Formats: sequence, structure tokens, C-alpha cells
Amino acid sequence: MSQLQPTICIVGSGPSGCYLAQFLIKQWPEAQISIVDRLDHPYGLALYGVAPDHHGTRAVTKQFDRLWSNPNVQFVPNVEVGVDVSLAELQANFDIVVLATGLHQDRKLSIEGDGLPGVVGAGRVTRLINGHPNETADDFSIGQNLLIVGQGNVAIDIVRLTLTSPDKLHGIGVPANIIEAIHSTPIRRISIVGRSTCSQAKFDVAMVRELANLTNVSFSASGLASVSKGDASDPKEAAIHDLVANSLAGAQRNVDFYFGWQPTAIAGSAEVSRVTFSNISRPEETLIFDTDTVITAIGFEESDDASIRRNQLKDSNSNIDVGLLSAGLYCVGWFRRGPKGTIPANRVDAKMVSDSITQDFQNRDDLGFKKGRQAIKQLHSASKS
Amino acid sequence: MSKDIVILFGTESGNAEFAAEDMAAAIESDAEVTVVDMTDFDVSEFSADVFYVLISSTHGEGEVPSGARPFIEALNSNAPDLSGVEFAVFGLGDSTYEHYSRGSEIIEEKLRSLGATRIGLYGRHDASDGSLPNDAAVEWVKDLFATL
Repeated sequence: MSQLQPTICIVGSGPSGCYLAQFLIKQWPEAQISIVDRLDHPYGLALYGVAPDHHGTRAVTKQFDRLWSNPNVQFVPNVEVGVDVSLAELQANFDIVVLATGLHQDRKLSIEGDGLPGVVGAGRVTRLINGHPNETADDFSIGQNLLIVGQGNVAIDIVRLTLTSPDKLHGIGVPANIIEAIHSTPIRRISIVGRSTCSQAKFDVAMVRELANLTNVSFSASGLASVSKGDASDPKEAAIHDLVANSLAGAQRNVDFYFGWQPTAIAGSAEVSRVTFSNISRPEETLIFDTDTVITAIGFEESDDASIRRNQLKDSNSNIDVGLLSAGLYCVGWFRRGPKGTIPANRVDAKMVSDSITQDFQNRDDLGFKKGRQAIKQLHSASKS
Repeated sequence: MSKDIVILFGTESGNAEFAAEDMAAAIESDAEVTVVDMTDFDVSEFSADVFYVLISSTHGEGEVPSGARPFIEALNSNAPDLSGVEFAVFGLGDSTYEHYSRGSEIIEEKLRSLGATRIGLYGRHDASDGSLPNDAAVEWVKDLFATL
């Protein structure tokens, strides 16, 4: 049998795409891999979705840097599949095409008023903080009374980053206009409201414990199942109790956690001014917040203007569980399984899809004849001309 | 080093594996070196004829990474006699968090409780500055084998 040297195109250079390339190289050291990205720089969410003060989490990009010193791996910047080249063209020129484009649009609240000025998605805020080249800050600023909907790690990132001093934000590379948008009106109060009970909330304990490092902040919580840390059997409740108990009196900024509420309406004339919530277990009970800024952090979804959509690519042979869309076409990461799980979860996903791909191709001896990276140059230059 | 070397890594984001591969490359001219994921390692295969280099990250609230969980569970349930087994440890962590570098310590304590002996300095890397552990791990492993 001839040596297996498939030509592979991975669309998207975020964590899922890069992990997948690492695993495929281990299986096929001679395979030619092109990793395409619509931006001019690789790593996607690892750069624009991870908080800039979480250096340890970002270190994974240094692991991926090693990819580019492999002569069989090529980064192709500034190519958006579905716009600059078609998926069909890629499939015609590579033995294997894998979609790793993620899901990057903030999930909408889908309630009355969710489009009012002053309501902004946490993913967009995180991209602004990280200097994403396609985001503009024109209509973005945070007032003194911030309401965050959602209690996952992204929501906790927003709490921490918006209460971080301008000097420190500058030190971790946050653009000056974004620091200005966060700090021009000093934040007095952040209300962070979620549907779940505290023990079911999506945040990680370490993320909440990290909030204790903020200065001049007093924490409160309502809707906990326990009265004090001594009664709390759940580690998330214990972490919240610790934050509250260790708050300094006289702090000028407040962070209030509310567990067990879902938003029902957003009101305001020119911009958001009030949000109403209803209690999950006692729906007749409402909670009303007067606010000038709402940041929604309730997860991610496929973009309204996405140029490639997973469900349109499925055929009768698809097996999404192992990443197979159709013969030679695969998907990995959030694009495959939805917006759940952290960067390490996408490593596990990439390993699984890599195994699935190599298994499908292990007995093929007709590989390596497609043009691969030469083709992508031609396609790209043709589209730009 | 007269013994064969097995580098066992326990990882969450792949950084420990990446550093394990660099450590192997740095010492493979002097010894027979194999890199093995803790997830794939059969704890009944521990041998006094092999020197083990363990590298593990820390997850969440000072837990072992998911890649080391099956390994720890197997050590707990099978409780193999590790008398005569020698190993060294390099721990990864982030001092921003409360339980810095705890993951590798859990594994180290477990191996010693089963009779194994830890050799040399306990290596550490702090990722709070965003650096990868590779350089520190390579330096540490070279020093380790220079003195053995």
C-alpha cells in the first residue's frame, strides 16, 4: 500500500482546529495540512474569547505556535470559506476538509426589548476587550449600573474585567477606547442574575474565588439554598458565602448575585432603563432592575449571517457524533456539538474527530493526489482578483 | 541513566503532553524514553526496572486533570505494591488560583503511599505569566538526570 499522505484543509484556527491539526499530525506525520482563517492571525477564541488577564489559559496558543514550524503545516490567513472560496472548491482540492469555525454570536434573550441600545452580548464585549479586528466600539459604553444576565464563566469574566482598574487593563493590552468605554462612568453596582440555583449555576468555583482579589467591592447574594457557609454542602454556595462574608465594609462598588430568576421584559425609550425578571419557582414573583447597561452572557449560537451552517451540510451518511458530515467532510468543536465546554473539552473533541477521520481513511490508498495547498493559493488569488 | 525512562503525563489542555514530548527529546540520546498518557497507562505495569518521570497539570479547585483521573482511580482501586519503583515529578499550575500546582501533588502522594520513592527535586512551573512549562521542564529533567 502506498504511504498515506492525505491533503487536509481545516477551516478555522481556533483551539478546536489547532488541536485537531496536532492530533492528525501524530497519526499522519507526512500529511499536508492547511489551516484557513478569515482573520489575518490564528487562534480565534483562544485570543478573542479568553479574558486577557487569564494568561495561563492563553498559554495554549504557544503550544499551537509550534504547528507553524512544521513544514507540512500551513496557515492561510484572510480567507473566509463561503465568501472568498466555496466549500465545494475546497473539497475538490483536498482529500479531507474539516470545519472548525465555532459558534461566535451571542445567544439572544429573545424577549421584548432585547434589541434596545445599551443591551450588548458578552461575547462582543470580550472581543472588544481583546481588540478583535472586526468589532467596533461605536455604540458601546458601560454606565454606573450594570446588569449581567447569565452566570457562567463568561459572565464572571465580565464582572472581573469591568471592575479592574484602567491601569491594569492597560497593562494587559486592553485598547484605550475600550478602557474609556468601561471607566468613563465609574461602575457603582453590578447585578448578576441567573435562572439556576447557585449549585446549578454554570460558573466554576475557581472563577468566583478569583473575584475576592478585586478591591473596593462589596458582594451580596440572594436566592441561596443555605444561610451561611457552615450550612452549605455545595462548593459553589460555599464560594459565594466566602465572597460575601469577606466583603469589606464601606466599599464603593457592589456586586449582587441573584439566583433563580429569568428575564421577561426589557424596557426603555431611547435606550435600556429597566429589566423585569420572574422567579423560576414562583413565576408570579417579579424582580425589577433599573439599569443603564445590560450585558447578556447566556451562551453562543450560529451567526445570523454565517456563511457555512452545519445543518445544511448534513446528508444521509452524516454521523455528527463522530464528526462526519459527508464523505471527506468533517466538523469538530463547537461547530460540531454546540456551544458547550471549555478549551480542554475541545481538545477531547478534536482527539475523537481525529480518530474518526484516520479510521475512515486507514484503508484508502488513493490519497495525496489532490492539489492541497497549491490549490488554495490559486483559489484565493482568483477570488481576490 | 541505566534504566529505561517512561514519561507519564496527565493533561487537560495538552500543555503537559507538549512539555513531556520536549523532555523526551532532551534526554533520548542518553536513555530509552517513552512518553505515555496517564489515561492509557496500566498501573499493574509499574516496574522497578523503569524510572518514571511524571508531569501533571492542576484542574479546577486543586484537582488532577481529567487526563489523570483514570490513573488515580486505578491506583486507588487496584492499590498495586510499588515498592522499589522510583519516580520524579514536575507539577504545572497557575499561582493566580488558590490550589496552585496541587494536581501533581495528589499523584505524588498516592505513589509514595503505595511504596514508590520520589527522587530528585520537585519540579514546578507557574503559568500565571502566560509562559509554557516546556523550557522549565526541559531544564529540570536535564538537571535531574545529570545528578542521577
